[in-house]
Amino acid sequence: MNNSNQLSTFWAAVWAVVWKDLQIEKHTRQTISVMIMFSLVSVIMFNFALEANLAAAREVATGLLWSTILLAGTLGLNRSLAIERENQTMEAVLMAPIDRSAIYAGKVISISLFSLALEVVLIFIFIVFFNKPFWRPQVMLILVMGTIGYIAAGVIVTSMTIQTRTREVLLPVLLLPLSLPLVLPASIAVSAYMFPQLPDWGEVQGAISVVAIYDLLMLAAGFITYHYVVES
Amino acid sequence: MIKINNLAKNYGLNPVLRDVNLQVEQGEFVTLVGPNGAGKSTLMRIVATLIKQTSGNVTIGGWPLPQRADKVRRHIGLVSHQSMLYGDLTAAENLSFFARLYRLDDAAARVQQALKTVGLLARQRDPVSTFSRGMVQRLTIARATLHGPDVLLLDEPYTGLDQDAAQLLDDLLLRERGNGRTIFMITHDLVHGLDICDRVVILNRGKIMADIDSKQTTPTEFLDLYAAHTGRKKHE
Amino acid sequence: METTRLDRNIRILNWAAGIALVIALGMVFFYAPVESTMGNVQRIFYFHVGSAWVGALAFFVALVGGGIYLRKPERKWDTIAVAAVEIGLVFLTMATAAGSIWGKPAWNTWWLWSPRLTLITIAWLTYAAYFMLRGAIEDEEKRGRFAAVYVIVAFVTIISTYISIRILRDIHPVVFGGMAESAQGAEQGLQEFEQGVESMKMVITLNVSVVAFTLMFAAWMANRIRLQYLMDNANHLKMRVAARLQGGKA
Repeated sequence: MNNSNQLSTFWAAVWAVVWKDLQIEKHTRQTISVMIMFSLVSVIMFNFALEANLAAAREVATGLLWSTILLAGTLGLNRSLAIERENQTMEAVLMAPIDRSAIYAGKVISISLFSLALEVVLIFIFIVFFNKPFWRPQVMLILVMGTIGYIAAGVIVTSMTIQTRTREVLLPVLLLPLSLPLVLPASIAVSAYMFPQLPDWGEVQGAISVVAIYDLLMLAAGFITYHYVVES
Repeated sequence: MIKINNLAKNYGLNPVLRDVNLQVEQGEFVTLVGPNGAGKSTLMRIVATLIKQTSGNVTIGGWPLPQRADKVRRHIGLVSHQSMLYGDLTAAENLSFFARLYRLDDAAARVQQALKTVGLLARQRDPVSTFSRGMVQRLTIARATLHGPDVLLLDEPYTGLDQDAAQLLDDLLLRERGNGRTIFMITHDLVHGLDICDRVVILNRGKIMADIDSKQTTPTEFLDLYAAHTGRKKHE
Repeated sequence: METTRLDRNIRILNWAAGIALVIALGMVFFYAPVESTMGNVQRIFYFHVGSAWVGALAFFVALVGGGIYLRKPERKWDTIAVAAVEIGLVFLTMATAAGSIWGKPAWNTWWLWSPRLTLITIAWLTYAAYFMLRGAIEDEEKRGRFAAVYVIVAFVTIISTYISIRILRDIHPVVFGGMAESAQGAEQGLQEFEQGVESMKMVITLNVSVVAFTLMFAAWMANRIRLQYLMDNANHLKMRVAARLQGGKA
């Protein structure tokens, strides 16, 4: 088999996994609706913690946005990877003549898409509640980059935790610390766009580069190690 | 078609399979029986390219495992007691997904054909979670044979099936065998599937104890042999 | 035979580390000059940097151990990774404690949630979680495999943290870099201390402490690996005795 053929085989498998996840979501709407419901409750709870002090909430709006995405993300990850274990479907997928990293790429894409759908909703809520310019394209770009890196780490970790005794409980303990070196610069970058005037590129360049580097390294780690996670 | 030589598998320090030797010829239907904990599932998972052996050689269609698992995977299909189907997808969607994974040409036509063969054409738009156990098992066979594998592997396929469904499974297996497929089945069930296979192999405590030509052996004789080799009661 | 030779090597390492540490201590207190703005409290800087360096080194060793384990699943590579993470955590804790003691006079607070300090806390949590993952898996082979994958993923966050520290604005000074940068960084880190001979003395003391801490790390690693080896041996013997007893009964 030549290289271009192998490459198209790889992307065919990736697309098959994404297509399958989107079909399941189309039928059940479970993952996205759970994530959105959870996010709404979280936002209300955060406001409650800030004693409905809108001024304080505005100050920390960026942090709230990321915290909500991270926590809702763990739900999406757990749900989406639990589906693969339900009737041991993962074994049927593993028996197919496909690269294991294609399964990884497929899961990262589909769960990222679910998270991005959630973020669209969250952006509306945050604009309404906090009156901050979350609609800026730069903010959305940083959100997309942050989400990919987070889910890239999340798929590796969740694929492992789901095979352990403590399952769902273990995921946040492992994943949240792993994701903070990504979310901290991403959150600094988003904060820089919360003012009426746009920041200089030099101001956010560093933070955005760290996010990009994290994304690339984490995806590379996933591509290399994923078959050690799903095969025995 | 399947050649297993001096196969051993340990979990930690626990030997699960010891010095297993077994050959399944092309077009043959071989059933492997043994009590729980004999190592049947482990053997099946090795042949299905899902786990690697500790030592020994396994080849399928001439390709060694685990080195050429990528080649072997095109030529094997597994039916297990777990459906390996997505309950939230329809019957047709499940098959389309696997058709995409195997990059089959004419995927849509093949899916329709497969659904027709197992008699699920009318229910193709229903989610699999609404299916009865027997229907799920038929769809499982359609999934496992969709890519036209030379070898069909069966892992306790009778689990949870009622009498009618088991009969249907027997018919489907006979048809698959008629199509020239090699069939390798493991089961702890001594009632089903023995009369339709060519050879029965008894596995106990990780070792092969006997290799019996099922055409030459009556059911009573077989049950006596089984009891003698496993030291267990006949209907376990 | 094997173990006696191992024991001898460990003993040599223990002595080397001990002596190096005494020399470093001597230099820190008697050779290095008093820093002009901070005074004597600045001397903790040498321990702070030494421990932080070993922490980073240990996590790198864990990465290497994990990486090799995935290619060649032999118990010893897993043991190296475990030992390195354990020791790395201890040194990271020491670095944080020393930094905190230094921070009190420097920033007039024990702790600040600056990006760098936050990220270090996160790194600590990341590697502490390594043991939670291990604890949740019974099968030895799977435990080693998942732990190795986790150590690789964790190191990605260490790289990001390292880059963040370089790029993001922070109150905490930067010390490590290239060789030249290191000396320069030390100057920045020590703020206004005198140029020339006195500053050279500080740089030399710093380098000696780093070497001493590295030796200490090596010695701890050797001891920890030996301990695991003895533990495995004991477990193995226990299992054999159990098997023998069971066999006797049947």
